[in-house]
Amino acid sequence: MSKSCRTFEHTADLGLEARADTPGELFEALGEGLAGAICLRQTVAMQKTVHVQVESEDIESLLVDFLSELLGLFNLEKFLIAGVRVGKIDETSLAAEVTGEPFDPARHELGEEIKAVTYHQLKVAREGAGWTGRVILDI
Amino acid sequence: MGKGQTIRIEQIDEYRWRIPKESREDMRVDGIIYADEKLMSHIRGEQAAEQVANVATLPGIVGASMAMPDIHWGYGFCIGGVAAMDVEAGGVVSPGGVGYDINCGVRLLRSDLKAESLRPRIKGVVDQLMRDVPCGVGVGGPFKFGDDELRKICLDGAKYLVEIGLADEEDLVATEAGGCLDGADPDAVSPIAYRRGRDQCGTLGAGNHFVEVQVVEEIFDAQAAAAMELAVGTVTVMIHSGSRGFGYQVCDDAIKTLRKAPEKFGIDLPDRQLVCAPVKSPEGRRYLGAMRSAANYAWANRQLLAHLARKALAHHLKATVESLGLRQVYDVAHNIARIETHEVGGRPRKLCVHRKGATRAFGPVSTGSPQAVSTGSPQAESEEIPRKYRSIGQPVLIPGDMGTASYVLVGADGAMRETFGSTCHGAGRVMSRKAAVRAAAGRHIEKELAASGVVARARGRRGLDEEQPDAYKDIHNVVDVVVAAGLARKVARLRPMGVIKG
Repeated sequence: MSKSCRTFEHTADLGLEARADTPGELFEALGEGLAGAICLRQTVAMQKTVHVQVESEDIESLLVDFLSELLGLFNLEKFLIAGVRVGKIDETSLAAEVTGEPFDPARHELGEEIKAVTYHQLKVAREGAGWTGRVILDI
Repeated sequence: MGKGQTIRIEQIDEYRWRIPKESREDMRVDGIIYADEKLMSHIRGEQAAEQVANVATLPGIVGASMAMPDIHWGYGFCIGGVAAMDVEAGGVVSPGGVGYDINCGVRLLRSDLKAESLRPRIKGVVDQLMRDVPCGVGVGGPFKFGDDELRKICLDGAKYLVEIGLADEEDLVATEAGGCLDGADPDAVSPIAYRRGRDQCGTLGAGNHFVEVQVVEEIFDAQAAAAMELAVGTVTVMIHSGSRGFGYQVCDDAIKTLRKAPEKFGIDLPDRQLVCAPVKSPEGRRYLGAMRSAANYAWANRQLLAHLARKALAHHLKATVESLGLRQVYDVAHNIARIETHEVGGRPRKLCVHRKGATRAFGPVSTGSPQAVSTGSPQAESEEIPRKYRSIGQPVLIPGDMGTASYVLVGADGAMRETFGSTCHGAGRVMSRKAAVRAAAGRHIEKELAASGVVARARGRRGLDEEQPDAYKDIHNVVDVVVAAGLARKVARLRPMGVIKG
């Protein structure tokens, strides 16, 4: 099992690129990449778990919808994410458990204001023995 | 991704470059980029030109897919893009052609304050602004609006704030569209957007949004400056913000809803972020109704920010807003789609003009101006320009980076002939945020700015590093190109004295 996510440069926005053995791990890596852009994950305690379910028309849209759902946890509930575990996943649906805690201005320093998860240069693909994914966040 | 790896770009003249429609089989019109050789060298290094070509494939596009000199690589449409679609010929509206921050824009207040008398107190003024203007990621403000009030803001924009005593009529007159676009549809806005919008009207946000105290450094056009009550050595206040989470959600919802529209309407897209629907389709009308609601929310937001900034200055200087003469020069949208009538092929046509990182720049309404004479029909639009500005052209507000300068321009006849009454919107980023943070390593941007006479404060951990002057193109260069190309005329240059960032 392996997964990794790195940010890449895009003039005004922020790109996330990930590699993993399975689609589930790929989505976990990108979800945690997004979480890290909102707030350093090391500073977020695993206090509470939230269940997330997403359905979409194809795997790329599923990624955008999944990440938008995670972004919504912060925007609507002020919930910060420490870790993401994807359970069941197929081409058009997934179920995940997201662990974290409510934002506390005294302890958490926020990173970028992420406006949205875009479809620009969006990619979810099998490459060799693993999977790669790429998404650009509007900031 | 676009279909061409290398885009053919031909030079037309010193300030214009063409991407011929023949260079890609899916382009319906040419792409035109306004830039000089220096700016072009950067543009070539990005994928922005390819994005200009991608937009040229959209149904109903007329004239050309255009990009202003502050163009940079965006998502879907480039930033600095202008595209007009013929409404009656199946022309489309695309949420990506407006952007997530719907009606992100700029407001300028002038004053009778002398910069030299303010300078010893600028630190205190900036600290007061930092205390009084809510800013930063996800920060709410002192104004809370329930859904009923938000619906009124959707419908009436800044006008609603006049009703509740937080704005006056004079501000509305000096605002694009009077601070309210007709045709907003509050029912087209999702409950999530309403939820996000409740406590964010009257907040600055983060990123490149700011409130800046400036001094009028130079006047280029005495008549226009007089009409705007701008004088050398006096203080101005510039506000840059948009529709906050409310607008981001409207755009996000629309793109999701429109994912299946290209298939339904038989539109072949080179990039999924360009999703669109015909203006006259139910999907297109719904997006426009929601977008106008968010645009109106943004005008209410900047109105409240102006209210807070005026009060902060008056409080700190122990004066009144009236005694300081803090009157509004103008307020313009930088991210918007508007239905306007322009002349195309010798006939007036109803167009959906997308401006994403571009500014409406209508020329003077006088004998000889194209819109007054040949088309006749944009009469109502010209009347939208405040009476005192009609003979000089619509004010255009161009923020530069926080260490250099901002400009006040007016729209020129060339914009009416070539760009559907549009010009640039700012300096345009040249460095990614990550690269800017790297470039700031080992430096102290706040101290560097202070040494050059600018007191800067930011809420976020990397705010000033990401927004440092070197991260942007040379604003003088950008403005010189649009002026030389005849799209706008210079009125005044403003130099920053103090700035707060989210």
